[in-house]
Amino acid sequence: MEQSFLKPSFGSRVFDLCNVVVMLVLSFAMLYPFINLLALSLNDGADAARGGIYFVPRQFSVDSYMLLFQNKHLLSGLGISILRVVVGTSTCVFMTGLLAYIVTIRGFSGRKMIRLLFLFTMYFGGGLIPTYMLMMKLGLINTFHVYWIPSLLNAYYMLIMASYMQNLPESLSESARIDGAGELLIYFRIIFPVSLPVFASIAVFSSVGHWNAWFDVILYNSNGHWDTLQVYLRRLLLEVEALQQVADQQLAYSKYRNISPLTLRAATSMVVTLPIIFVYPFFQKYFVGGITLGAVKG
Amino acid sequence: MKKTMHGNIPSAPVRSAKPATWKRTLYRERNLWLICLPLIAWVILFNYVPMYGILMAFVDYIPGKSIFTSDWVGLKHFKDFIHSPDFGHVLRNTLAISGLNILFGFPAPIVLALLLNELRKKKFKQIVQTISYLPHFISWVVVASILFTLLGNEGILNDILLRLGWIGKPISFLGEGKYFWGIITAANIWKDIGWSTIIYLSAMAGVDSEVYEAGRVDGLGRLGAMWHITLPGIRTTIVLLWILGIGGILNAGFEQQLLIGNAQTREYYEVVDTYAYKYGIQLGNYSYGAAVGLMKAVIAVILVFSANRVSKKVLDTSIF
Repeated sequence: MEQSFLKPSFGSRVFDLCNVVVMLVLSFAMLYPFINLLALSLNDGADAARGGIYFVPRQFSVDSYMLLFQNKHLLSGLGISILRVVVGTSTCVFMTGLLAYIVTIRGFSGRKMIRLLFLFTMYFGGGLIPTYMLMMKLGLINTFHVYWIPSLLNAYYMLIMASYMQNLPESLSESARIDGAGELLIYFRIIFPVSLPVFASIAVFSSVGHWNAWFDVILYNSNGHWDTLQVYLRRLLLEVEALQQVADQQLAYSKYRNISPLTLRAATSMVVTLPIIFVYPFFQKYFVGGITLGAVKG
Repeated sequence: MKKTMHGNIPSAPVRSAKPATWKRTLYRERNLWLICLPLIAWVILFNYVPMYGILMAFVDYIPGKSIFTSDWVGLKHFKDFIHSPDFGHVLRNTLAISGLNILFGFPAPIVLALLLNELRKKKFKQIVQTISYLPHFISWVVVASILFTLLGNEGILNDILLRLGWIGKPISFLGEGKYFWGIITAANIWKDIGWSTIIYLSAMAGVDSEVYEAGRVDGLGRLGAMWHITLPGIRTTIVLLWILGIGGILNAGFEQQLLIGNAQTREYYEVVDTYAYKYGIQLGNYSYGAAVGLMKAVIAVILVFSANRVSKKVLDTSIF
């Protein structure tokens, strides 16, 4: 708000105070669940089952984490999740960027047609079952490729990237073209370096999406061969499964006797959440710009 | 790419006076089209082929056979769904959950954006905003984990209620159907209230600050300015998002139901999408599932068009 030369009235100051209090309560509501999970995950398992842990661990113990990182299910899930994020994000960002570049080349006769072809898919689709049947026919079921090939191009990302590239000076690519550079070369060497902010914001959207994906894993990889970290965490949420996991682990490593499903679940949730907490604040200005742009254009 | 790609200079001047026929254009742009070809093939395969696959809703589809050699049954699957004993509660849950989402989830970010907009300290505002975005980036699996932890028998909510002496024994919040709608509405709001303010805040930034000055001179208080200047200033944005929200009224969510719901609460969490998934994929009735999904999509389109018409008439704002 614009600061005024007028002295704020008493009512106005009361309003400000209430507003700040509301904001503090809101921030607490947003953060508290994670604080609680963190406290639980760092607590002794048997002790945590007694309840009453709110902000800090009562009996500090890192056993849950130690156990997690010796669990081959979790480690393979973590590996597959990371692989999915890396492969899925890099291919999506580069291919969608290329698409966005092509639909912004002035004078290209197919530009409008291609743009429309993709925009249409934002509003209409085949739905769950026809898409599932397609994946089955293509032989993508129970493979790693189902994670990145169907999400290679994205119409919404294309819109955001294209609206950024449209504002670049025409002379950039024009001069390269006169020097005889091909379109792919122009894209990689000229457009990509100057469009880094928009590539970064799309990379954040895409990687968070891949990291958080759960349903497509259980839908397309029902045999469990390519289970990601999210699927592993979901299993722990089912009480019986969680107890089984704990029992298996305790059999293998007798020193972790004091693990309970509660603390194991909390620790796994933290492992899934921490990378996001560390990454998203730094990219905030990019994705906020991206979403406003997308909303205006879309 | 080789350096000798003179062929694809789209905006290069045409050297001769020959008229630019489509063949000549295509030849001139051949390298560009070569890049486009795989992109176009991808979108046709992954987005347009499934649209054609919707036809399976009108036949008795058996995997391995093609849609055209399967028996044509017309609207049989649609009728089956309407007459099935599940139809009533599936429709009720879908409308109730998405209705609650619109009723509470739609105004909540507007109120939050109005309050954020009034914060005087820039730094404080930024920190609150950053914190409020956090839940948006968290997967539904983690949200389910949080709910299990907070609302479980040994969870904090039960703990506090027991200590206060309001209840005698722990309540199984997630195991009883009557709590489900409330829990899922609260979870939806918690997850997206901050994220949804982005668009309203950017609309508020566009309101002319001179209007506020003028308002203040005319004796308008803070609340008055919010009501008479800021809200009307973002009216178009609100209406647009409202129309789009109506179109999504049958999108009552999907992952959250599967993750937070369980066998005891099925009566209250089963929505159209989870129903289509259960019958179409888990039980293998592909045609039936596709019909349920298609019915939902058609209703959504009708709703968007009607909402658009109403807002055109009443508020003079529309999306098309």
